[in-house]
Amino acid sequence: MTIFRSLSFRLALAYMALFTASLAVLAGATWWMTIHQPLQAAQAVVDREAAELATIYIADGGEVLSTELERRAAALSDRKPFHAFIDSSGATASANLPTWPAAQTNGLIRLEADIYRDGDEEDHEALVRDRVFDDGARLLVGRDIEDIDGREEVLAGTVGWIVGLSLILSMLGGYLMSQVIGKRLESVASTARLVIDGDLSGRVPVRGSGDDFDRLSITLNVMLDRIQKLVGSVQRVSDNVAHELRTPLTRLQANLDELEQASDAERSDVIERVQADAQHLQTMFDALLRIARIDSGRHALATKPVALAPLLRDLAELYTPAAEAGGLAIVTDLASTATVNGDRDLIFQAVSNLLDNALKFTGAGGSVSLTLEERSGEAVIQVSDTGVGVDADSLARLTERFYRAPGAEHIEGSGLGLSLVAAIAEAHAGRLVLGSERGMTVSWYLPAA
Amino acid sequence: MQILLIEDDDRVAQHIAKGLRELGHYVEHCSDGRDGLAKACSEQFDAIILDRMLPGLDGLSILAEIRGSGDVTPVLLLSALGEVDERVKGLKAGANDYLPKPFALSELIARIEILGRRTPIQAEQTRLQIADLELDLLGLLAQRGGKPLDLTAREFRILEYLVRNAGRVVTRSLLLESVWDYNFDPQTNIIDQHVSRLRQKVDRDFPVPLIHTVRGSGYVLRAPA
Repeated sequence: MTIFRSLSFRLALAYMALFTASLAVLAGATWWMTIHQPLQAAQAVVDREAAELATIYIADGGEVLSTELERRAAALSDRKPFHAFIDSSGATASANLPTWPAAQTNGLIRLEADIYRDGDEEDHEALVRDRVFDDGARLLVGRDIEDIDGREEVLAGTVGWIVGLSLILSMLGGYLMSQVIGKRLESVASTARLVIDGDLSGRVPVRGSGDDFDRLSITLNVMLDRIQKLVGSVQRVSDNVAHELRTPLTRLQANLDELEQASDAERSDVIERVQADAQHLQTMFDALLRIARIDSGRHALATKPVALAPLLRDLAELYTPAAEAGGLAIVTDLASTATVNGDRDLIFQAVSNLLDNALKFTGAGGSVSLTLEERSGEAVIQVSDTGVGVDADSLARLTERFYRAPGAEHIEGSGLGLSLVAAIAEAHAGRLVLGSERGMTVSWYLPAA
Repeated sequence: MQILLIEDDDRVAQHIAKGLRELGHYVEHCSDGRDGLAKACSEQFDAIILDRMLPGLDGLSILAEIRGSGDVTPVLLLSALGEVDERVKGLKAGANDYLPKPFALSELIARIEILGRRTPIQAEQTRLQIADLELDLLGLLAQRGGKPLDLTAREFRILEYLVRNAGRVVTRSLLLESVWDYNFDPQTNIIDQHVSRLRQKVDRDFPVPLIHTVRGSGYVLRAPA
């Protein structure tokens, strides 16, 4: 059965055993201190007296002993002295014990020694040494141990139900403890089951008491937050891929349908459109694969020292005709001699994407600036434009795959340009800082060589 | 041109062979790496189209064998591995050009024609001429009909490439690779703007244009008939 294997059950059992054991120790100690030790002391007294009195009998005879016994009996004492002296003829010479066993024992015995005084019965228990002499005389010497006997009775009477009650209490305590632990473990387990069933928003409840379970719950919740975020971004990418595929595929389908009906004159036009659709799809997949390869470190970087200024000048020159055709100016400040260790083709690709974006999102009459600086050990490539820019929410999401800022949907592009830039920046141990005050500014910080 | 095609995918091979044969080229097809290598070694071709991944013997090993034997036949490497580092590996192994799959047939044809007719670089060649267009490669000067053209260094290089490949289609990506010394994918057709500026300078003042757009492919520089 699972309950016997459950930790809380075993804890409860152990708790019960410990509780019982400690109770036994307590009872033992009580017995030792209140019964055993006083009894030992009383026995020592009785033994000593018996020996002394026996010596008197052997040395001085029955008369002297009897006198001595009477004197002893009359003396005041914590423990009332008891005795019985039966002489060699069998007659009781002196006794204050009410009864004694007829059979000679020659040992230590405990006797009832109740005393009747003024019609009342006084309970007494005597610890008695029974000695028989060679001549047949018998001497019983004892002391009152009624107090010890009483305690013994109380202890014997109470131990039973104390143990019983304690067992019940400890069982109850163990059960409650196992319930509490079980309940809190169950709350963790039920959250885990929620997550297993696909609901990543489930969280382990935190009581706020700061105990071990709370700390465990907080750690688990932090882990779940992270997992949810990661899964969310993976999901968004695959959702987006599926969504982004729909548009060009629909267009491709439409164009193919059209091709079927097209007259010879229209054919080449439609074919060109079909080719463009296919090209668009291919570009998209290439970009996705590239980002994934660079992100995962599977793309081997051809790292070499790269002087950035000439590379950026080539880029500015490459984009100038396109910019001017769109009524834009490219302004450069590339006086810095900053050099970095990197893959020149990838750096070229990244900045080309940045320039491409800047040109796309800036209207005629605006300008795009491309600058290079070296600041405290870092080369800073900055591309900024005088375009519309984006709001803060979009800014944070621009490097997400397929993310298009609101209002940019109609502008041609894959939504992958900045994702690739981000992947390349990261592969170069650089960081990308996006800002949007007037227009858009992207700063790429690279460790200088 | 005599072209050896080593490609294991029959569908792709047929497509390529058909396109090339329609243009009057002779195409020999092998679908296995070892057969292909044997063919390459025993016969003389003007160009070899070699797939990167093949059964038997892979493309890079074949390329190494061919180059190891001192054979300098131009090789165009095809690969589904469209990554930049794969391209670098291919070119290092001795390929003259590299085309990632999938590709447009027109792109492949443009590239193979340029490869197959690659004229050996002549050190003493300092002037190029086609029709009334003249290029001075030392002075980086161009003139048409005796009138100097005011070209930037980049425009001069584009024009030089077009002239060297006169009569053959030059695709945008070919231009990007040969005129700009960077390997990257432009997001938009930035090359068009460069060519259109160049055309303005070369053709605007003359009745007969030399540079023509080939729809869906690229450009061609052609002497008037």
